[in-house]
Amino acid sequence: MRRLYSLLGAVLAVLLLITPVFAQGQVIYDGNAGSFVFEPGSDYSPTDLFTGFKDVMPGDQLEQTVLLRNDADNEVKIKVYLRSLGAQPDSVEFLSQLRLSVEEAEETVLFDAAADQSAQLTDWVYLGTLYSGGELELILRLDVPVTLDNQFKNLVGYLDWEFMIEEYPVEDTDPEPPDTGDESGLMAYGLTFCLSGILLLFLLMPRRKQEHNT
Amino acid sequence: MAGTRRKLALIAIAAIFVTLLSQNTLAYYSLIGKATNVVTSGDIQLVIHEYTADGSPFPEEGVYIIPGDIVGKTVVIENVCGHPFYLRVRLVNGIDSQELSAEEVFRVNLNESAWTSREDGCIYYNEILQPGESTPPVFTQVEIVGDKVDQNYIGKTLTLTVTAQAVQSEHNPAQHPWEAAGWPALDGEVTG
Repeated sequence: MRRLYSLLGAVLAVLLLITPVFAQGQVIYDGNAGSFVFEPGSDYSPTDLFTGFKDVMPGDQLEQTVLLRNDADNEVKIKVYLRSLGAQPDSVEFLSQLRLSVEEAEETVLFDAAADQSAQLTDWVYLGTLYSGGELELILRLDVPVTLDNQFKNLVGYLDWEFMIEEYPVEDTDPEPPDTGDESGLMAYGLTFCLSGILLLFLLMPRRKQEHNT
Repeated sequence: MAGTRRKLALIAIAAIFVTLLSQNTLAYYSLIGKATNVVTSGDIQLVIHEYTADGSPFPEEGVYIIPGDIVGKTVVIENVCGHPFYLRVRLVNGIDSQELSAEEVFRVNLNESAWTSREDGCIYYNEILQPGESTPPVFTQVEIVGDKVDQNYIGKTLTLTVTAQAVQSEHNPAQHPWEAAGWPALDGEVTG
């Protein structure tokens, strides 16, 4: 019985390991609903993508990612654009103290300025074309000066971004759509299920034989 | 003439086909979504706890004393935020009289294993106080110095005020707490 519990524990641990974790911000284009899904949100804003920029302290240098994903079906591809509307009026004083940078795959700097500004993201910036299941990652860095004054403690700053997609039909000349990853999760669960079943049978078989002998 | 018309018609039909085909490269539609992102700043917070010798909260109204008394009073400080910090306290004597001095009327048994008294008048906690933790007592007893408190002090109210200040230790390395950067002015204190 103890072996069975150990086995179940091991299976549970494996399942936990392959369960997706949404620690980063995510922007998902859901073609069927014709809308964006922003995750994970926060107590301050349901569309908050800045998962890692809370409770910041002077001297902090923080980094997080924002993942953009196309969950539309295979018949369309999307062009993705981003622009910043800057800080909301009552957040300007606080966010102007911080420096924010946004990079795409550590190659292209899309934005590098005081966090209240729209700067290089004032106009729409093309991020890339995503086929069904395709992903694109933005790397965000926030620098909090060590000299940040006491007057900026316990504050909340709001920064608005807009994402735009243009949907196009997939053409014959387009490359094969990448794997969406949806089946890989299912496969992992299926594989775990099968292996667990085989292991369970293997563990129970000798016990039955012993019982039979006695 | 009829031949020309036929040619024009063919060109028109061809143009329609070309137009239809080229429409494949136009966007089906576009969509805009707004994300309101949030940055929040943290803070450091502390609470001063004062207890009597039996561990109950020290009475806010104070206690009656006579010269030479030793009053049991334990002072500890708790970190009630999510950030570690350096800590210092000050002991300020007071009296409700213009003519009498409150200087040196109290003597405390400073816990020198955990706290260091400095010439700036502050007593510094030797370690970094971690979130959720409390310091060892700053002191546990207050002696009313008999040599300083004479007949003139009868009926007066003497006060011993403990004030505390903290400064973040993250990104603020220091060999000794008094060498840390960012200590606030001595009037920005939490009073206990």
